[in-house]
Amino acid sequence: MPQGDHIDLSQKRYGYRLDHFERIRKKEAREVHKRSAYAQKALGIKGKQFAKKRYAEKALMKKTLLMHDESSTRRKVDDKVHDGAIPAYLLDRDETTRAKVLSNTIKQKRKEKAGKWEVPLPKVRPVAEDEMFRVVRTGKRKAKQWKRMVTKVTFVGPGFTRKPPKYERFIRPMGLRFTKAHVTHPELKCTFNLEIIGVKKNPNGSMYTSLGVVTKGTIIEVNVSELGLVTPAGKVVWGKYAQVTNNPENDGCINSVLLV
Amino acid sequence: MAANYNFKKITVVPSGKEIIDIILSRTQRQTPTVVHKGYAINRLKQFYMRKVKYTQTNFHEKLSAIIDEFPRLDDIHPFYAELLHVLYDKDHFKLALGQVNNARNSISKTAKHYLRLIKYGDSLYRCKSMKVAALGCMCTYVKKIGPSLAYLEQIRQHMSRLPSIDPNTRTLLICGFPNVGKSSFMNKITRADVDVQSYAFTTKSLFVGHTDYKYLRYQVIDTPGLLDRPFEGRNIIEMCSITALAHLRTAVLFFLDVSGSCGYTVAQQAALFHSIKSLFMNKPLLIVCNKIDLQSLDKIPEDDHKLVMEMKSEATKTLLGLGGDPNDDGVLLTMSTLTEDGVSAVKNAACERLLNQRVEVKMKSKKINDCLNRFHVAMPKIRDNKERPLCIPQSVLDSKNKDAPIEKKKLERDLEEENGGAGVYSASLKKHYLLADDLWKEDSIPEILDGHNVYDFIDSDILQRLEELEKEEGLRLEAEADDDDAEMDGVELTADEQKALAEIRKKKSILIHEHRIKKSTAESRPIVPRKFDKDNKFTTNRMGRELSKLGLDPSSAIERARSRSRGEKRGRSTTGRGDGVMDMDVDQPSNKKLRLRSRSRSVMSSKKGGEIVPGAGFRDVEQKNQALKIAMKSNKQRNKNARRGEADRVIPTLRPKHLFSGKRSIGKTDRR
Repeated sequence: MPQGDHIDLSQKRYGYRLDHFERIRKKEAREVHKRSAYAQKALGIKGKQFAKKRYAEKALMKKTLLMHDESSTRRKVDDKVHDGAIPAYLLDRDETTRAKVLSNTIKQKRKEKAGKWEVPLPKVRPVAEDEMFRVVRTGKRKAKQWKRMVTKVTFVGPGFTRKPPKYERFIRPMGLRFTKAHVTHPELKCTFNLEIIGVKKNPNGSMYTSLGVVTKGTIIEVNVSELGLVTPAGKVVWGKYAQVTNNPENDGCINSVLLV
Repeated sequence: MAANYNFKKITVVPSGKEIIDIILSRTQRQTPTVVHKGYAINRLKQFYMRKVKYTQTNFHEKLSAIIDEFPRLDDIHPFYAELLHVLYDKDHFKLALGQVNNARNSISKTAKHYLRLIKYGDSLYRCKSMKVAALGCMCTYVKKIGPSLAYLEQIRQHMSRLPSIDPNTRTLLICGFPNVGKSSFMNKITRADVDVQSYAFTTKSLFVGHTDYKYLRYQVIDTPGLLDRPFEGRNIIEMCSITALAHLRTAVLFFLDVSGSCGYTVAQQAALFHSIKSLFMNKPLLIVCNKIDLQSLDKIPEDDHKLVMEMKSEATKTLLGLGGDPNDDGVLLTMSTLTEDGVSAVKNAACERLLNQRVEVKMKSKKINDCLNRFHVAMPKIRDNKERPLCIPQSVLDSKNKDAPIEKKKLERDLEEENGGAGVYSASLKKHYLLADDLWKEDSIPEILDGHNVYDFIDSDILQRLEELEKEEGLRLEAEADDDDAEMDGVELTADEQKALAEIRKKKSILIHEHRIKKSTAESRPIVPRKFDKDNKFTTNRMGRELSKLGLDPSSAIERARSRSRGEKRGRSTTGRGDGVMDMDVDQPSNKKLRLRSRSRSVMSSKKGGEIVPGAGFRDVEQKNQALKIAMKSNKQRNKNARRGEADRVIPTLRPKHLFSGKRSIGKTDRR
């Protein structure tokens, strides 16, 4: 008890006030009414916040109550037979796994071939050209309209040099150039911030692929050397594909799923 | 100084969720909320950029306030730095603040990033989703530092309850084993009201009290008890004591329980003393044997006594380091807090020692010379050997000696007692009246007399006024007597003279009257210009009137004025005066003389001037002359100064704009 803790000291020396516990009880009893009054009074954002908080509290309370009630409720017994379950009389036999091991690499290869184009987002919304590009008027009278500016997020390689402005048809603005992407490993269920190596394919067209436009559904190549993935042959993998799962131009970041 | 170490001022650290709520609702309230798709895209961008920027600024302010308010352990006094380290763990503390700082930087970076992206926005939807993403990102950063904020809030609450110890002032520090009576001593010499119980470690933190010695205030610090164990093994409570011992320049009172009722033997206590001996270096140290009511120092066993003496010699050594007297017995004191035996002696000794040491240190420091040469204590020299004892008047001495009973003033209460007590005696309100005659006190005056209220007819200062009137009367009578004397002296006036006198007086009174009228309306009086004032015109008639009024003959004056004012009429003759229409009666230079003067050319009379050419605009010659004269006069000064006149050549604009502006085309330079 530090110095100056007068309430504690007094309680230690002289005990509680005579009506101490009565007051506490009343305060608690009053709490409900107070909360109700506030809930009726609060408007706008305050009201919303309060309602949300209360909802969460109530849900939690219901859950706990249900948990305590569980013993009295009746449930279906789980009758399902699990995969690989063995009858009792077969338990003492050894299982041969040799054949499986042998065919593992073959299977892997087949799986890779088959699943190459199986991606998390099989369909994407087509993006029209006038949404993708903005016309930049040029010329002294601003009459020429052959220049385009990309309005989506782009990836531009580190060695890129602009053409002279007079001949540059497509402008990829500096502010919309991204070099990193958040990549989720679907099996590890964790996300890394990795460098982009290149744009493999933009589903909207080869022109966008060559321009390096990153939209939802685009396959990008990312640098996974940090993750320490290894090929079956034992080599360290450093480039892997990932599919973009969000609209980077709306979110300000690139989220993607690693294709394994 | 003390204000620097007041940690009570730190404001509450809100939890992460609270901060988010505060900032977001502020953004909602303080930035515009109405926006439509149809607005110009720049306006939309502006709208959302403002929201992002505003949110970031507020987060920054909030987090900066938290970072700035907590003390930096490197900047505060080492005692406090160490104490905070002991209580809250320096690394943890720094980590928490570091995380807050990181969050602040990340938020700024995020805001910058998103502001840049919003600049490229091309629709309301895109700008809005960017704003949502930006705010969400910032809130996530704050949510992540939630645990750090909670930790900081706990520290703040604890810090605000730390005793306000001033590390630089005069301080006594009480230390020793648990249960030896440190807190009891503290309660005896200060008003700190520390909790005292019969078990060990009742005191779990540092306590501060204040005491006075020689009109100076001393800070007394009560520390938790120390056990004799290695430094690393000590717990937080003991480390508080160690910190105070190590970093404060104080007088140390090492408490010793010789009776052993605290549960530790003298040998254990001596061991502790020797193990923390290094902390007593350069500090005035006292060994205080407490609880002598249980067992006095003389009667303790031989080996214990030896240990005590050993400690004493050690303490004397530290004293020697401070330049003390080796044979000083004052380092070992005995007292009993129960019987209050020797308590004040211990306090006084400690204070005295501390004061001496501090003065000595100050005298040794370099700065002291700057102060000392400003001091001068004047000591009056003894003039002679004469005795000059106190002088008390004899009467005072007498009255002192006599100690005669002082007559008590009779109070109303006494009177009451004498005259039958309460209820019977009624006090007279009239007896304290201040009247000229005491007999009047009991006189009664009727309020109403003959149907009139008496008070209406009472004049309180009638006597005074009567006196004044009488005085005035006397003065007047005297003056009259004087006047009579003067008239008697004068010669009788004749009838004419009396008439004239009456006239003069009348005139005088009229003048005064007029003057007064004039004066009374001086400010707002409309003034008639004399030109239009018929009465005040300067005419000969008026002059005559005025002069005759004064009793003078005006005729000659009028004639003279008329003769001067009349302009000369043009004569019939057109020939000049020089041609001489002679009037023999007039006294003039003789004809001969005039003729003798050579006259090559006849001089034009300035009066008559040249002829007037019709159409020149002059009425007559005179006017022409006048005009000429004025023209000459106006040029005179100019010519004298050789200034440019109106006759000189003038070029109005030296560089006319139309000739000097515009591009020259090929070939011609003079055409534009």
